[in-house]
Amino acid sequence: MRSFLALMALASLLVVGCGGEQTADRPPPAGQQVAPAEGAAPSVRLESGASVAGAVKFEGAPPPRKKLDMNADPVCASKHTQAALSEAVMVNGNGTLKYVFVYVKKGLEGKKFPAPATPVVLDQNGCMYSPHVMGAQVGQALKILNSDGTLHNIHPKPKVNQEKNWAMPKFMKEKVTTEITVKPEVMIPVRCDVHPWMQSYIGVVEHPFFAVTGEAGTFELKGLPAGKYTVEAWHEVCGSQMQEVTVAEGGTASVDFSFKLPN
Amino acid sequence: MSETAYGWWLPMNVATYGGEVDSLINVIHWIMGILFVGWGIFFFYCLIRFRRREGQKAVYQPIHARPAKYVEIGVIIAEAILLLSFSMPVWARFKGEFPAEKDALVVRVVAEQFAWNVHYPGKDGKFGRTAPQFISSSNLLGLDPDDPDGQDDINAVNQLHFPVNKPVIVRLSTKDVIHSFKIPVMRLTQDTIPGTEINIWFEADKTGQFDLACAQLCGLGHYRMRGAVSVDTPEAFAKWMEERQSEVSGTGTEY
Amino acid sequence: MDEQHHEHHHEHHHEPGFWRKYVFSVDHKVIGIQYSLTSLLFLFFGFSLMMMMRWQLAYPGQPLPWIGRLFGEANMPEGVMVPEFYNQLGAMHGTIMVFLGVVPLAVGGFGNYVLPLQIGAPDMAFPRINMASYWFLFVGGVVMLASFFLPGGAAQSGWTSYSPLANIAPVGQTAWLIGMIFLITSSLLGSINFIVTTVQLRVKGLSFFKLPFFVWAQFVTSFLLLLAFPPLEAAGVLQLMDRVAGTSFFLPSGLVVTGQPLEVSGGGNPLLWQHLFWFLAHPEVYVLILPALGIVAEVIANNTRKPLWGYRTMVYSLIFLGFMSFVVWAHHMFMTGMGTAMSTFFQATTMIISVPSVIILTALAISLWGASIRFTVPMHFALAFIPMFAIGGLTGLPLGLTASDLHLHDTYYVIGHFHYVVAPGTIFALFAGIYYWFPKVTGRMMNEKLGKLHFWLSLIFMNGVFMPMLFIGMAGVSRRLYDQTGYAHGAAVQDLTVLGSWSAWLLAVAQIPFIVNFLMSMRKREKVRSDNPWEATTLEWATPTPPPHGNFLTAPQVYRGPYEYSVPGRTADFWPQHLPEEAESPQPRPATT
Repeated sequence: MRSFLALMALASLLVVGCGGEQTADRPPPAGQQVAPAEGAAPSVRLESGASVAGAVKFEGAPPPRKKLDMNADPVCASKHTQAALSEAVMVNGNGTLKYVFVYVKKGLEGKKFPAPATPVVLDQNGCMYSPHVMGAQVGQALKILNSDGTLHNIHPKPKVNQEKNWAMPKFMKEKVTTEITVKPEVMIPVRCDVHPWMQSYIGVVEHPFFAVTGEAGTFELKGLPAGKYTVEAWHEVCGSQMQEVTVAEGGTASVDFSFKLPN
Repeated sequence: MSETAYGWWLPMNVATYGGEVDSLINVIHWIMGILFVGWGIFFFYCLIRFRRREGQKAVYQPIHARPAKYVEIGVIIAEAILLLSFSMPVWARFKGEFPAEKDALVVRVVAEQFAWNVHYPGKDGKFGRTAPQFISSSNLLGLDPDDPDGQDDINAVNQLHFPVNKPVIVRLSTKDVIHSFKIPVMRLTQDTIPGTEINIWFEADKTGQFDLACAQLCGLGHYRMRGAVSVDTPEAFAKWMEERQSEVSGTGTEY
Repeated sequence: MDEQHHEHHHEHHHEPGFWRKYVFSVDHKVIGIQYSLTSLLFLFFGFSLMMMMRWQLAYPGQPLPWIGRLFGEANMPEGVMVPEFYNQLGAMHGTIMVFLGVVPLAVGGFGNYVLPLQIGAPDMAFPRINMASYWFLFVGGVVMLASFFLPGGAAQSGWTSYSPLANIAPVGQTAWLIGMIFLITSSLLGSINFIVTTVQLRVKGLSFFKLPFFVWAQFVTSFLLLLAFPPLEAAGVLQLMDRVAGTSFFLPSGLVVTGQPLEVSGGGNPLLWQHLFWFLAHPEVYVLILPALGIVAEVIANNTRKPLWGYRTMVYSLIFLGFMSFVVWAHHMFMTGMGTAMSTFFQATTMIISVPSVIILTALAISLWGASIRFTVPMHFALAFIPMFAIGGLTGLPLGLTASDLHLHDTYYVIGHFHYVVAPGTIFALFAGIYYWFPKVTGRMMNEKLGKLHFWLSLIFMNGVFMPMLFIGMAGVSRRLYDQTGYAHGAAVQDLTVLGSWSAWLLAVAQIPFIVNFLMSMRKREKVRSDNPWEATTLEWATPTPPPHGNFLTAPQVYRGPYEYSVPGRTADFWPQHLPEEAESPQPRPATT
C-alpha cells in the first residue's frame, strides 16, 4: 500500500512538473557588452564591424491590396475613415518590397549574442498589428500594446516555440512576455482570434543581425564580424531567398533580392 | 439595436414560428406554476396543521392512494399533450419543412474563433468553392481564387443581413471548434459541429437590428462572438448587397 | 460472515498505530469521515471559484478589490480577470463541485459512514478497496488543484470538455483528463463495494423491503456509477490520446485553427465525445440527487413520527428512475443537428423520467399528512428540499422539449434549472444529513440556533442566486460568458446578474454560522445523553456513540420495517427495527464516550 501511494505521489508530481516553463515572465538578461568568461565563446563588439546592406526589389506590377472589412467590430470600424488595406504585399513607390525580413542565416555559429534589455514592441492600433513584420532576438522581451480599447487576442502560432494564446481585454494596455522568443524561429505568425483579418509575423533569431525593409525597401545588417555569411530574405507571400556574401573587417557588402508573386 | 426588443423575460419575437415556441413556453410555465402552487399549498397546510404540539400524535397510516394517483396521471397526460401537440409539430416543421431554395435567401455561415463569416453567393447565386488550404487573413472563407463562381462572393464578417418576410436558409459550419448560432429574437439555436454542414431555416416578420450570439463555449473570445443581425426591408437589403458587391472587385489577384 | 467475524476478532488483539487508525484506515467510518472532510473543503473551494467569477459577471473589467492582485499577472493583471482565467474558474467550478464535492460527500461520505450501520454490518465487504477508493479521490483532487499552476492554467473548456475545443486547449486539460481517470476509478471501486455490501452483509431479518430508503438510494446510485462511468473513462483516455498521441477520435479533418490547418489525421467526430460524455453525465446527475432523496427520506420519517407514505412505490420509482436515467442522455444534445426521430425518442424518455421523480417527491410531501412534525434543524433543510427540488425538476420540462429548448438551450435557464436541483436541493439534503448524523459521529449535538440561522440565510440567498438565472436565461443570455454586457439582450438583464452576485457573496457569509457550529460542536463538552438522540428507528442508532470498530457490540437482528413510528398500541412513538417483539420500548441509553 505504501509503495503504491508513493508511486501515485510521484506520478502526480511528474504530471505537474512536466508542464513546461514558468508562466511568470523572466526579466531579460541585462547588457549587451559582456566580458567573456574564461574559455567561453567570444562575444562580439558591435560598434565597429562590417555590414551587409541592400534592397529588395519587386518584379512586376504591384497587385491591388485587399480591403479589410472591419464592420465585424464597430470599435475597429470607427477608427478608419477609409477601409483599411491588407499589408500582405506592399510595394513601395520606388518598386521595392516592404515588410521583408532579412537576416543572417548561416555564418555566426559558435558566437553568442546576449539579448538586449529593451523589448521589441508590437502595437495593436486601429485593429491592425504594427509593425506587420518584426524581428526579435532569442531571450528578448516582447512588449505588446493594446491601443484600441477593445478585446484583442494575441495568438502566436509558432512551430518551434510553444504556442500561446492570450486575451488582452480592453482594460489591458500592455503585456510584456519572453515566452515566444525562447528558441530561434523564422517566422512566427501572429493572429488575433477576435479580429480575423489581423496578421503579423515575428522572426526570432539568435543574433542582432536582422532587419525589416521599410518604405525605402532597403535593409542594413551592421556590426558583423568579418566572414562568409548566408543571408536570407523572407516575405509572407513571395517566399524566401538566400544569398551568400563575404565581408571584410569593417567593410560593406551589398546584397540585393528580387521577389515576385507566386503563380 | 432595437431598444425595446429585450427585457427580463422573453425577448421580442421576430420569427414566423416563434409564436409557437412562445406558446409552448408559456403553457409549460403555466402548468409548472399550477403544479408548484398546488403542491405548495398542500405543503404549507401540512406544516401548519400537522406541527407537533401538546396532545397531537401522528397517525400511522393516514391516507389512501387515490388523490396522489390522480395528480400523477394528470401530470402524465399534461406532459403527453405538451410533447405531442406542442413540441413535436414545431420541431418537425423547423427540422423538416424547409422552404424551396428558389424562394429563399440561401446563406452560408462559417463560424470560427471568434467571428461569424457570413458567406453570400453574390449576383450569380452560386457559392464559390471553399477549402481549408485557401484560408488566410484576407480570405477568411478560404475561397478558391480559381473558381469563377466565387469571384463575386461576399464575406460579411459578423453581419447577417436579410430581408423581412422572406425565408432564409442558413448552411452552418465551423472551421475549428463547436460554436452555436443563436438569435434570441428568432427563438433559434443551432450548434455548428466541425466536419458537418447543418442547414436551418427561418423567416422574420419584423424589421430591426438584433443580436446573434454564440451559444457554445468556444474559447477565450466566446463572449465576444457577437454578430449583428439586420432584418431589412427588401429595398434596404438590396442596397446593402450592392455596397458589399462593389467592395468585392473580384479579380482574384488581390493580396 | 465468517470472514467478518475473523476480521473483528483479529482486530481486538492489537491496537493499530496513529497512521493505520486515522489516515490509512480500512474502517468505513474513518473513510467516511475522510471523504466528508475532503469533500467539504472542495465544496468551499469550488464555491470560492464561483464567487470570483461572480465579481467579473457583476462588474465586468473592474479590478477585484484587495485580493485581485494575488492571482498573478497571467490570471488577473492589476486585479482584473482575463477571459482565459474566467473560463478556467468556470470549468473547474463545475468539475470540483460535481466530482470532488457533492458526489464524494453524498456517496463517499454519507454512504460509507451510514450504509454499513443501517444494514447492521461491521464494515464494508471490501475494506481495503474502500480505502483505495478514497486515496484515488485524493490523488485526483491533488492533480486537479495542481492544474491551476500549469502553463496556460487549468482546464478551461467547461466541465463538459467538448472536443475539439478541449483538444486544442492548454496542458491543463491533459491534467484534467488524468485527474478524471483517478476520480472515476475511485467511484468505480466504491460502487462495487456498496453493491456487494448491500447484497451480502445485511443482518438477519433485514430483507430488501425493510431497508431504509437511504440504503436503497445508495444502492441504486452505485449501479448508476458502476455502469455509467466506464464510457467516460474510456472517452477520457481517447481524448488524452488525441491530445498527446496524435490520434483523432474526436477531430475531423480539415480543421483550421487561427488561420492554420490543424495537423491531425482526421476522420474523428466531435459528437462521439458528446455521446460518451453525456452517457455518463446524465446518470451522474441522478447520482447527485438520489443520495439526497435518501437523506431527506430518513429525516422526514424521523421528524414526522410516522412511516413514509408509499415506501414501496418510492422504491419502485427509484429503480425505474435509475433505469430510465440511462436512456435520456441525448436531451443534452438536441441542438447538435439532431433530427426528428432521435429527438422524439429522447423527448419521450425525458418526459417519462419525470414521472418517478414526481412520485417520489409527492410521496415525501404526502408523508407530512397526519404527521406530528418536529421542526428540528435537519428537518428544516429536509422540508425546504421539497419545494426547491420541485422548482429544479419543473424547470427541466421546457428544457426537455425540443421546441422550447430551441430558445433555452445553453442559456442561464439551464444553469438555474440544474443548480436548483443541486444547490438548494442536494446540498440542503447534505446539510440535513450533517446536522442529523453529527451526534452519532461525534457524540454531540450541533447548536440549534446557529443551525436555524444557517438555514434561513442559505434558503434566502440560494433563491437570490438562482431564481434570477431563470429570467436571465429566458431573455436569451448564453452560458459561460465572461461579459454579457456586450450583447443588448445581455445588458438588459445585467441588474439581475448583479443581484445574483450579491446573493452569492451573502450566501458565502451565511455559511459562517455553519462552519463555526461544525467546528465548535465537535469539541464541546456537553455530550448527547443517548445513543439515539433523535429517537429514530434505523439500525445506525443502535450502536454505541461513536460506533467502535466493528460497529455493533452484538450483531443485531431486524424484526420490522424501517419507519415504525407511532405504531398504534405502543407507548413510545418509535419502535426501532432491531428490538425483539416482546421488548419494551427503549429507554435512553447513556452514550459510551
